[in-house]
Amino acid sequence: MLKYIFKRFLWMILTIWIIVTLTFFLMHAIPGDPLDVADVGSSDAASANLAAYYNLDQSLPMQYVTYLKNVATFDFGPSMTSRSRTVNDMLESGFPASLQLGLATLFFSVISGVALGVFAALRHNRMIDYVTMILAVIGISIPNFIQSMLFINYIAVNIEFFPIARWGTYRHVILPAIALASGPMAIIARLTRSNMLEVLTQDYIRTAKAKGLSARKIVVKHALRNALLPVVTIMGALTAAVLTGSFVVERIFAIPGIGQYFVSSISNRDYPMIMATTVIYSSILVVMMFIVDILYGFIDPRIKLHAKED
Amino acid sequence: MKKSKLSLKVSTSLVAAAIFAAGCGGNDETTGNNNEGNGNNDNNNNSNQEASSDGDKILIYNNGEEPTSLDPPIGNDEYSYSILNNVMEGLTRLEQGEPVPEPAMAEDWEVSDDGLVYTFNLREDAYWSNGEPVTAEDFEFSFKRLADPETASPAAHHSYWIAGAEAFNEGEGSEDDVMVEALDDKTLEVTLENPVDFFESIVAMPQLFPVHKETVEENDDWANSPDTFVGNGPFVVSEWENDEYLLVTKNEDYWDADTVNLDGIEYVMVEDSNTAYQLYQNDEVHITGIPSDMAGELIDGPETAVYPRSGIEFQRFNVEEEPFQNTNIRKAFAKAINAQEIVDYITQENQPVMTGYVFDDFAHPAGGTYREEVGELHEFDPEEAQQLLEQGMEEEGYDELPEVTFSYNTDDLHHTIAQAVQEMLQTNLEVDVTLENQEWAVFLDAQRDLELQYSRSSFLGGYNDPMNYLDNFTTGNPMNRTGWSNEEYDQLVSDALAEPDPEQRFELMAEAERVFIEDAVIVPLYYYNSTFLEKPEVTDVVRHPVGFVEFKWADLQ
Repeated sequence: MLKYIFKRFLWMILTIWIIVTLTFFLMHAIPGDPLDVADVGSSDAASANLAAYYNLDQSLPMQYVTYLKNVATFDFGPSMTSRSRTVNDMLESGFPASLQLGLATLFFSVISGVALGVFAALRHNRMIDYVTMILAVIGISIPNFIQSMLFINYIAVNIEFFPIARWGTYRHVILPAIALASGPMAIIARLTRSNMLEVLTQDYIRTAKAKGLSARKIVVKHALRNALLPVVTIMGALTAAVLTGSFVVERIFAIPGIGQYFVSSISNRDYPMIMATTVIYSSILVVMMFIVDILYGFIDPRIKLHAKED
Repeated sequence: MKKSKLSLKVSTSLVAAAIFAAGCGGNDETTGNNNEGNGNNDNNNNSNQEASSDGDKILIYNNGEEPTSLDPPIGNDEYSYSILNNVMEGLTRLEQGEPVPEPAMAEDWEVSDDGLVYTFNLREDAYWSNGEPVTAEDFEFSFKRLADPETASPAAHHSYWIAGAEAFNEGEGSEDDVMVEALDDKTLEVTLENPVDFFESIVAMPQLFPVHKETVEENDDWANSPDTFVGNGPFVVSEWENDEYLLVTKNEDYWDADTVNLDGIEYVMVEDSNTAYQLYQNDEVHITGIPSDMAGELIDGPETAVYPRSGIEFQRFNVEEEPFQNTNIRKAFAKAINAQEIVDYITQENQPVMTGYVFDDFAHPAGGTYREEVGELHEFDPEEAQQLLEQGMEEEGYDELPEVTFSYNTDDLHHTIAQAVQEMLQTNLEVDVTLENQEWAVFLDAQRDLELQYSRSSFLGGYNDPMNYLDNFTTGNPMNRTGWSNEEYDQLVSDALAEPDPEQRFELMAEAERVFIEDAVIVPLYYYNSTFLEKPEVTDVVRHPVGFVEFKWADLQ
């Protein structure tokens, strides 16, 4: 097991290095200079001084080495758009909001998605099945920014309990979390439903029934556990996506998260921020995938991680 | 099982409620929930609430975004300076009524006969928010810091008025050669490169605000936190949650504190204009911008405030590319585009149409505005445009006009304007123009490198003088971006800079503008407006055509 983890860890480092390298050369290949984006009529001398300040006057390989050092030490230096603050500062101050929102989103989407899926499967081809699946289709097909705007324009302005926007209390989390959660919820519900339907026809379910187990025990202990495997698979990517914030929803609800940086850093050619967001997202993603792989073993004992070594 | 049943109930009912509410819709009436609108941050779970207790006059202003930096030479944008302008103060400040400098940190000043040496006398009761007196050394340090290549200020060119600053910024001169000197604690002597009489309004600009020397020398990050920020303006920074809000409260030690009516200003950072509009409707902010898709509907509304802005929307020709090497062809294009229609039907914010290049409302020494004294130099004239085009094509020996591509940066408004321009050129000149859009940074890069043939442009004025505009098109200026170079124009601009007599100087500048318009280097479109929604209880917010929002005189009734 330890050997497996160590091996996976090395692979993770290698993956991140490849991503970082690709990103570095891609972002330098985009036309447009980070220092010119503001277009404030700087003199040539001022632009040259700024370039020197950000080491942009160095050769590309030199800059690459500097970046690798920054990535290794998780110190990305000052942002090119918000110069007084370092990239680390900006991400640290924004991460808690994105994390809270992300956890609420995960909570909403997983709990309601699984529950909806299970109920739909148990009441296959009946009213509740159709209703949940219609909900799922709506959840997938209305983009979260449309939902956000609808929530603000029709719910928040009418129900005092929900603030229109901004951040601070649990009440601020609910509407954006629902907007963000409805898509993943729908995917999870559909996945759970189809897997449940398949699992419920298996022989061991019949056996369990024959043994006289209660319906609840059959569903929770035998059916659901097997049906959840595909759901766990998508949890890795979902968690990474949700924890790193959402550009659109955070913007609409004026949430001070980090989602904005994933998009604005690119239009601003904010090189240090692009590198930082890339590293963060890819790290969370590979770590989550690793956790998912470990989880497989716990949920389904038939999957053995260290089978090869044995 | 019980658990998941319960959460199913909760979540489905939430989703159902959401869909129901979205479905019935149509309720525009917002019941004013004023609880959160009194400046109490009770929607923030923050501890320091004393500053904004009940009954205080806290104006809530949507700043749109987080300030880039509260360090004067670094921030250099509206998000930063709309705050900085109210927590710091330069040697002068623009008056409440007209954009004319009045004494601020400097109580008075003398100018030498040749117009080159300014001696500012600082007021005795000028203090930093940490209690220390504001000294001439602070100013000397700050002006040199703006020019210092190590500071790498994007706004360094605003120091170039001071003799020696440009060379220092270019890495050639030394700090000691920058001609700003503290004669004693309260006397500052500045020697200029040229005898520009508008220097007294230059020193009102946030780029030239002083900083507290010791604080800045000790701590590089001094401007990042309310605990370390040291200001000298009508307000002090009290609370700051990045990307959420920044609260400033009245500075009781400010020399003119009696004039200040507000107890504080809460700058909130709500980027999405629709969300901001809903917050405004719900009385959670006092001032915010107008969502651009609602401009036509709101522009004449009772709560809409329109301020003229020194800034222009225009188009550049690349005079190095065919067919725009020909003056008459350029002129034909310029005269074939009806800017009034663009303002009336597209932007819908009542922007004044340009009849020249320089901002109309600059004060002219003869008494009126610049435009009144100089006269209109450009107008829409489709018939003359047609003649000019024929003439130009004959001069170049064209049977058919070479292909023309108009480029703009990707944006809904620019796209619509480009389409209208395409239509006007087709109707008035029978010229087919291809449209092309590019992402902002790509577009800007191509425009600077003269890779675009004909492109959209804008310029926001920084200081209160026609020179702010005219300087841009001198040969080799980074703002030129047309390939245009005209000796007569360059000479007129440099003569104007060297001219100490105001009347003479304006004469030279007006002549330069005539040369520029006669050569049709640009297509003038319209001057900008700043438009805001302001609650009726808000009074005396000052926005000059140049500079940034002033809350020194503002009040909540």
